[in-house]
Amino acid sequence: MSTRFASLGNLKGKQDLILNAVCLLFAAGFVLMALSNVRWAGNFFSIDSLFITLVSLLLAGIFMVVPAMWAYENGLLKTWFAAEGDDAPVAEPVPVHFEGTTKLFLSVLGFLLVLTLVEVLLAYVQVPLFLMLTILVGLSLIKAALILAYFMHLRYERMSLVYTLIPMLVICICLLFIMFPDSFRQLGLRAYR
Amino acid sequence: MSTHAHAVETLTATDDWSGGSFPYHVGHKKLGMWLFIVSDALTFSALLVGYSYVRVSSDAWPAPFAFYPSIIFSTVMTLCLLASSFTMVMAVAASARRDRKKARRWIGATMLGGLTFLALHIYEWMHLINDYGLKPFTLPAAWLERWPQASPLFGATFFAITGLHMFHVLTGVLYLGYIALRIRRKTHEDVEISGLYWHFVDLVWMFVFPLIYLLSVDFHPPGH
Repeated sequence: MSTRFASLGNLKGKQDLILNAVCLLFAAGFVLMALSNVRWAGNFFSIDSLFITLVSLLLAGIFMVVPAMWAYENGLLKTWFAAEGDDAPVAEPVPVHFEGTTKLFLSVLGFLLVLTLVEVLLAYVQVPLFLMLTILVGLSLIKAALILAYFMHLRYERMSLVYTLIPMLVICICLLFIMFPDSFRQLGLRAYR
Repeated sequence: MSTHAHAVETLTATDDWSGGSFPYHVGHKKLGMWLFIVSDALTFSALLVGYSYVRVSSDAWPAPFAFYPSIIFSTVMTLCLLASSFTMVMAVAASARRDRKKARRWIGATMLGGLTFLALHIYEWMHLINDYGLKPFTLPAAWLERWPQASPLFGATFFAITGLHMFHVLTGVLYLGYIALRIRRKTHEDVEISGLYWHFVDLVWMFVFPLIYLLSVDFHPPGH
């Protein structure tokens, strides 16, 4: 973190001052916008009013990022976020075991985001309902597998744990599908009524 | 100290299943969380299967979710949950390096994602309740005109499934907040377990989102 934003921390004197002043000015402006909306919106709990509040505060927060990073680089925030006694020994029940790199997790996240967007786009292509259901559930199963394997670390656990948990879950969910013939039967009964 | 040495000793025992050791190489808390996750997954499966049952056996089913605000909001909510899952992984990674400060900050980012999800979802609920007049066992009159003979159980399935999921997100945010506050006293495994719960909440939404929202998209909302 500190090396990546080193150039920002190295801005000296005047440049720092101008950059932070402009950002703080914009942030204050958006906060003022949110506050004035509270004052003059009439009914505050309406969709438009809440939307304006949310967007204004979001923009204010975004403009606060640069000053906050500057303050962090210069050690102004360290006292706030310090967790004292970090090296206090706490006994682990099992030795710490963690695998995977930031790059790997970022690419998993990228896959998940792309699959989500594909699902949303698919919903707007008007295909037969059953086909769409199959594709959506298929994509969701792929996403669930990615989350289980990488985010929930199951890929790096012992296989005995995976064999204990996953087949049992899959079989139980499949047993629930025993309901569906009855639902189709009900629909058919109504057609003949 | 001695507990740790004991754990290492039992882990290197020759036979996993003869007792006094960790046969899955995970602590008892983590195994407990996994078993809870499996049973909770079955709860959500039962709800989703119940929803599918009602929908299949009904003559018609409303498709009320217009692009704005419902679909765009639920998509952004999905992105929020996925991003917060990623930040949670980073928190667990930091905790594995014994970097508790960083872990706490990543957990904070995760909670922020969860709170954004909650805010957007409550907005979406309020939109359906106030603007359309959707109730658990009654469809709005305007919807009955557009989808004649639609099942009145639409509201029940929608509120039950998304409501239970919202409750899980809220519990998760509180749980993570507790872990972040007391992170100095918590083991790496405790952080990892809270992460498991959070990823599970994310995983459930990966099925709720397409089945509830994307299968009920309103292509031609009135007034457009």
